[in-house]
Amino acid sequence: MRRADVAGAIAAAAPGHVVIASLGTAGRAWRDHGGPNPTFYASDPMGAAPGLALGAALARPDLDFLLLEGDGDLVMNLGSLLAMADAAPANLRVVVFNNGRYETGGGQPLAAGALADLAAIARGAGWPFARTVVRDTSVDQLPELLGELLGAAPGPAMLVVEVDPEPSPYGGPGELSGAEAQREFRTALANWERSKGDEG
Amino acid sequence: MTDVETATTRSAAIVDRLKAGGVGLAAYLPDSWLSPLIGEVVADPSILDVRVTREDDAVAIAGGAALMGLRSAVLCQNAGVLLSANVLAAFAHHHELPLVVVAAARGGAEDGFYYQMYKGQVTAGVAAAAGLTVHHVDGPADDWLFEKASEQAWLLRRPVLLLCSRRALVGETA
Repeated sequence: MRRADVAGAIAAAAPGHVVIASLGTAGRAWRDHGGPNPTFYASDPMGAAPGLALGAALARPDLDFLLLEGDGDLVMNLGSLLAMADAAPANLRVVVFNNGRYETGGGQPLAAGALADLAAIARGAGWPFARTVVRDTSVDQLPELLGELLGAAPGPAMLVVEVDPEPSPYGGPGELSGAEAQREFRTALANWERSKGDEG
Repeated sequence: MTDVETATTRSAAIVDRLKAGGVGLAAYLPDSWLSPLIGEVVADPSILDVRVTREDDAVAIAGGAALMGLRSAVLCQNAGVLLSANVLAAFAHHHELPLVVVAAARGGAEDGFYYQMYKGQVTAGVAAAAGLTVHHVDGPADDWLFEKASEQAWLLRRPVLLLCSRRALVGETA
């Protein structure tokens, strides 16, 4: 399964979620192929995206959040699984792009990348819903699988999607600082909430 | 007043100040000097309390709350400041996310443990090098900092560190 297909399926399945995107290929796939959702690109430091998403979800329980996480970012901070299980926000769901390697860094394998079962680790950390979408799953099945994730009982819920190794070279130094990206996110979120209010 | 009563009084005063500064979320990892304060935070329904396994995760959580407009604090030992240098520097220079770190300043002259000493030697310097504003809180006379540090962090758009003595946190000396 290609990252672009996953990002596109998420965009279709979760148009009402605020997105926190980790650095690396997961975030770039969402930027290039995702939806118009208000999105905060977590950027560096690596391993901070789960905490940022948890803090955001706790601060705004009236919004639904979706963390788009790279497997390398997640394994840098596996303890975040325990913090999220403990805090158990009802409004945070997680999709992990899992290819078992540091794609941006040059394709080096993660430690135990070919052995570890991230969904099992999450379940062992207390997540009531954590499932793996294996690599040869048809893209056509993604809407249903994402629907199960988004419709899971309130509490931590994760879908680990095995994606194909694909080249992901650096796209340059980036166009925005973290502060500028934050301002863009705040503006997009304010406009999005305003438009939802107008619809209501 | 017993030691426990003194510590409880100190913790209540600190929590009142943090709340007056707008803090609505606190992520924490324990230190014995922080134990009464953590207990007071957990007991206060107006502050969301979040347990973590590493202090840099606490900083990230506090940053996420700040991203959504909620003032936040991290409660940890100064070892956690050292561990979190990367994310703190990123929030100071890259993301400009404000938060307050209330850290037990282990390793000072009042501390009686050899393995704490290095933390007292290096934490303030590391935090300043990471771009944080650093205040030393030495006792009740400095309590205003627990309130004003949040305001300063939001005005500066970066983390502010309060290095707190044992007397400041539990109201007693070694």
